[in-house]
Amino acid sequence: MPVRFEVNRDVFSEAVSFAVKLLPQRTTLPILSGVLIEAGPDGLVLSSFDYEVSSRTTIAADVNDEGRVLVSGRLLADIASRLPNAPVRFSTEESRILVSCGSASFTLLSMPVEEYPTLPQVPENLGLVKAQDFSDAVSQVAVAASRDDVTPVITGVQLEVADNNVSLVATDRYRVAVRAVEWDSGTSGLDAASALVPARTLAEIGRTFGHSGEIGVAITNTDERELIAFKADNKVVTSLLIKGNFPPVRRLFPENVDNYAVMNTAELVEATRRVSLVLEREAALRYTFTSDGLTLEAIGSEQAQASESIDAILTGGDTVVSLKPQFLLDGLGAVHSEFVRISFTKTENPNKPGPVLITSQTSREQAGSDDYRYLLQPNLLLR
Amino acid sequence: MRLVIARCSVDYAGRLSAHLPLATRLLMLKADGSVLVHSDGGSYKPLNWMSPPCTLTVMDPDDDQREIGVTEVWRVAQAKTADLLVVSIHEVLHDSAHELGIDPGLVKDGVEAHLQKLLAEQIELLGDGHRLVRREYMTAIGPVDILATDASGRSVAVEIKRRGDIDGVEQLTRYLELMNRDPLLAPVEGVFAAQEIKPQARTLAEDRGIRCLVLDYDAMRGLDDSESRLF
Repeated sequence: MPVRFEVNRDVFSEAVSFAVKLLPQRTTLPILSGVLIEAGPDGLVLSSFDYEVSSRTTIAADVNDEGRVLVSGRLLADIASRLPNAPVRFSTEESRILVSCGSASFTLLSMPVEEYPTLPQVPENLGLVKAQDFSDAVSQVAVAASRDDVTPVITGVQLEVADNNVSLVATDRYRVAVRAVEWDSGTSGLDAASALVPARTLAEIGRTFGHSGEIGVAITNTDERELIAFKADNKVVTSLLIKGNFPPVRRLFPENVDNYAVMNTAELVEATRRVSLVLEREAALRYTFTSDGLTLEAIGSEQAQASESIDAILTGGDTVVSLKPQFLLDGLGAVHSEFVRISFTKTENPNKPGPVLITSQTSREQAGSDDYRYLLQPNLLLR
Repeated sequence: MRLVIARCSVDYAGRLSAHLPLATRLLMLKADGSVLVHSDGGSYKPLNWMSPPCTLTVMDPDDDQREIGVTEVWRVAQAKTADLLVVSIHEVLHDSAHELGIDPGLVKDGVEAHLQKLLAEQIELLGDGHRLVRREYMTAIGPVDILATDASGRSVAVEIKRRGDIDGVEQLTRYLELMNRDPLLAPVEGVFAAQEIKPQARTLAEDRGIRCLVLDYDAMRGLDDSESRLF
């Protein structure tokens, strides 16, 4: 059955690039590197699937002959993004696919569409989140997720629905990041659920759906495979959930702290970057908070030392902590506020300093309105 | 092994000429006949050395040498070439000899054996409910590192590597094929466990239904940096 349609170039290019974005880099089944194009009376559905993650999008097109065709995803994406600005004409001729646009034309080999696996069913929405908030929250939290395969459970971001909120939690055992966004349970009435989503996939979903208004979220549990779906505009992404129990990291957060300092975020970022230039890899910076301000010192290297002082308003007693610069920078980059508060917690254990808590501040006096929290374990002070 | 710490100057003659001015150095005379001149730096690398076969002759200094303070001259002559190492010793600060016995050599796969022992002791790392059957389970083509059973009692064969690459997956595949012919064991699940698994090896293993498990050696032997972590 030949397939024939004509489609807007920009719409087509955007749809193909979305469909292939989550395709795996290497696969043992070449057929999974394809993008499935289904031409029907309502237009086109473009999809990709690797048994873990699926993406699909619906776009308008003038369909002359309906049917299904499978073609190498990355190649089609490369071609679509370089086509001249003219309608794209797409047709099949036996096992060949002809793509022409303006004066350019391409001939591609189609892949056996009969062998392509069935895409997972997309479940009904359980609730809605505001796309911008959700996208921000993902970018703030996913930075703390582990990239280490030793502990698969914490390579995911834990989503927890409760009390008209969905909270996102991630950790790599050195730090924990948490943020909640509003959850509109709509007609489903669901107000308690949790899902452990691979951080890489969730980060891509956050980037893709950031400007979509609202994102519908659905979770199912059929034949032992747990699945989450995110829907916005004409796009749907599904992902298998990570199995296992996420560690109970919320109890690590202090109930209340009365010892904290407030700094200008950009000043602290700049100073940390400058002073850490002389540090050896993996080494920590020493942060001394006093009523006069904050002093950063790079110690422990024989070749070079550095120090810098910046303004800080300290509440409570003088404090010294030793922090890995990259871990602090990740937290500072995620607060998304002009000022930042670093709170110090006490500890009973003399061999393990109490964690520091990083939260946003809209001004020197006013705490931020969001509930983003980033907890970081300082290193042991060496002198 | 004879260790001498002495104030000395050293000259090398032969295929190359080199001179080390007077300073305090460690002279190492090994049982294989080699002579090495070390300073207090430069890590494992001697300043100068003579490889065996060579002969060491200790000579009295001549008048000129005695005048500048030399008390003893070592001539180390290489037997195969005309190379010559001359150590002019001004003062011996330390001189001792030790019998080291036969060296067992460097054990490069020690980590792998240790990982096997640790994983056998911490078999729950394979998953909840796993139990150890035995280490080094013998098959007709060699021993499988660990044979265990999962929570439902099914056999699990584990191949342990330091670096998991394609070869290790192939090896485990051969064991699994053989073990799955045994009606008392089949079906046998494969687990490929390594400190680090190469992406291609992971892809191949998962394609063959073999589970990949990354092992944290430091955490397993209790050497991880738990005080720098939150939990």
